[in-house]
Amino acid sequence: MKDFLRQNGILLLVAALLLSILIGVGAAFLGGGADPLSDVFNTVTAPIRGGIAAGLNWVEGVYGYVAHYDELHAELDELRSKVADLENQVREGQEASRENALLRDLLDLQAKRRDFTFESAKVNAWSTSNWESTLTIGKGSSSGVAKGNCVVTEGGVLVGVVSEVGLNWSTVSTIINTDIDMGGIVTRTYAAGILEGDLTLMKEGKLKMSYLPDGAQLVSGDEVLTSGRGDVYPSGLVVGQVEGVFHDPSGQSRYAVIVPKAPLGSLVEVFVIKDFDIVE
Amino acid sequence: MTRRNLIHKWMIYTLGLLPIWLLDAYILPRYPLLGCTPMLLPLAAAAVAVLEGAYAGTGFGLGVGLLWELAYAGGFGGLVLGLALAGMAMGAVSQYALSQSFPGCFICASALLAALEGLRIARGLITDAAPLATLLQIAVPELLFTLAWTPVIWLLFRAIYDKVGGARLA
Repeated sequence: MKDFLRQNGILLLVAALLLSILIGVGAAFLGGGADPLSDVFNTVTAPIRGGIAAGLNWVEGVYGYVAHYDELHAELDELRSKVADLENQVREGQEASRENALLRDLLDLQAKRRDFTFESAKVNAWSTSNWESTLTIGKGSSSGVAKGNCVVTEGGVLVGVVSEVGLNWSTVSTIINTDIDMGGIVTRTYAAGILEGDLTLMKEGKLKMSYLPDGAQLVSGDEVLTSGRGDVYPSGLVVGQVEGVFHDPSGQSRYAVIVPKAPLGSLVEVFVIKDFDIVE
Repeated sequence: MTRRNLIHKWMIYTLGLLPIWLLDAYILPRYPLLGCTPMLLPLAAAAVAVLEGAYAGTGFGLGVGLLWELAYAGGFGGLVLGLALAGMAMGAVSQYALSQSFPGCFICASALLAALEGLRIARGLITDAAPLATLLQIAVPELLFTLAWTPVIWLLFRAIYDKVGGARLA
């Protein structure tokens, strides 16, 4: 310790204290935006992040091709069969849509529409902590991404919500993270509840749907969508499926455990919904 | 030791930290073992503090804390001061009470990780995030998986210390 004091170790501690205060103040006053030092650091290191992610994706791709060739072939056959079924459904759906438009005209109702402004982004990193579930994507404020934007897969399945934005990077809280809190609705019964992350379920890759109405009848396999209540998040985004319904420890209310549909651990590219306009 | 030698020495230590950071931030989180990801940066701070003593441990702890705050999401600044203080404490304890060896490093790393996990558990209990049992289910495997990496981190920094550590460049 004599060396420590002789070599002005106290000055180092003062410098550490000042840096802590600087970062803390920056984080506190830039709600949603990264503090300036973090932003500069992550902007500069973005190519490293992107390079490592691209390298790992390539290795995984080669490994998948070599080790799972037969599975890929079987999946391709299955998908071809699904495409044929879906094409039939589209033909039937087009007829129903025409009829629907006609009836809306007759009743003078505004046409339904769902307009989204998307921004595609590569997933560059996964959360480093076991206490949270986040992703880092390669788009930020320079591409119009803002805190609170929803992030979906190419199939429109909800991945999470942007929680921190830098110049060319953003942090996304996945739907199983504990800071998630949004309205959800079960498509079969229209039972509404609050989708929220739970630390216990997060380890299992699941989330919770709380505040279920007393008479809500949910069964395993029911599909859950975002409800869009409050107009903060878009409605109709697929979240996942009900795994089971349980009582709170107090026994007063019930909650459903939801298994997300998005493959949160193996995402390569996602789409940020920068803006939306939904008429239902 | 001249200023040039000092810069050279700490450049080498920083280069040693680089692969640990890349592994910790970008590679290991992608392949969690049994759903758990280790945190390697505190181990780096512990290894250098044990090898170089209190003053250098403070400086390196400050640097590691700064890296942690800047490169990882959700920082609030406390880790810079926290790891600088931890570096000072680990350096002093290893100089005066423990040996500047792997067992010393392992004990210091265990104490640092236990403190970090303790703070997280306390925060989880204060914010009512989950019951204690759940918090322990996250904290204990994280601590154990992280400690399993101690030999690797120690060997890396020990190799650097053998080349440029202490007053070797003087």
